[in-house]
Amino acid sequence: MKYAFLIYDDPSGWENLPPEEAQKFRAEEMPRWESAMGELAQVDPGFSGYELESRSRAKVVRVRDGERLVTDGPFAETKEIIGGFFVAEVPDLDEAIRLGAVIPSAEGGSIEIRPVVG
Amino acid sequence: MKYMALIYGNRDRFEQLSPEEREAMYDRYRKFGEEATRAGVAVGGAELGPTRDATTVRIRDGETLVTDGPYAEIKEALGGFYLLECPSLEDALDWAAKIPGAHHGAVEVRALHVEDEGSEAA
Repeated sequence: MKYAFLIYDDPSGWENLPPEEAQKFRAEEMPRWESAMGELAQVDPGFSGYELESRSRAKVVRVRDGERLVTDGPFAETKEIIGGFFVAEVPDLDEAIRLGAVIPSAEGGSIEIRPVVG
Repeated sequence: MKYMALIYGNRDRFEQLSPEEREAMYDRYRKFGEEATRAGVAVGGAELGPTRDATTVRIRDGETLVTDGPYAEIKEALGGFYLLECPSLEDALDWAAKIPGAHHGAVEVRALHVEDEGSEAA
C-alpha cells in the first residue's frame, strides 16, 4: 500500500531566522531527517520526499465564475502547516505508523498518514 | 523550478456526486493530467484517500500517540497534489488554475525547497 506522510509543524520558530542562523538550524536538524529517510529507504528504496518553501511565499488559486483569484497563502490558517511530505510503498498501516514516528516532526508536530489511491 | 500544487476540496461534496458526475470529474482530471504531462509541466502527483482513512502520529514527552483521523478536521481537506515544473511562479499559478479542484475548492502553490547552489553545511 502506498502512503503519504504529511508533515505538519509550526514553522514560527525558524521561518524568520536570519539566513545564517536558518542554515545552522537546518544543519543541526539534518542528521535526524537523514536517519528518517534512511529508514524509509529500507522499506521503500523508491520513496519520494518533498520539502516545501516557507508559507510566506505560498499562494492560493481559486477559479470562480471563470475568473482566476489568487490570494496569499497558505490555504489553512492553522499554527501547524504542511512543511513537506513523503510518499512510500509500505506493507501495512502498522509499519507506516512506525515510520511516521521516526520522522522528526512527529515530536512537537504531527504526521498525518494517508493512503494514496491514485 | 519545481512547485507543489496542493489540492484542497470538500470530500463530502465529491462523495455525494452521482456516478456520472464523479466520472466527469475524473475525466476533467485526466484531461488536465494529459495536457500538463504533454507540456512537460506535471512531473508527479497523487490522489490521497479520504481523511476518514487517515492516521495521525505524534510524539509528546517521549510517548508515541496514534489517533485515527486527520491532523485537523477541516471542511476542505488536502485531497491530492501535482508536482509542477515551471519557469516561474506566475506559470505555476496559470497551471494551478487549470486543475479541476481550483474550480470548486482551492489549490495552494508552494515552491519546493532547493539548497542554495554552492552552499555547504557548516
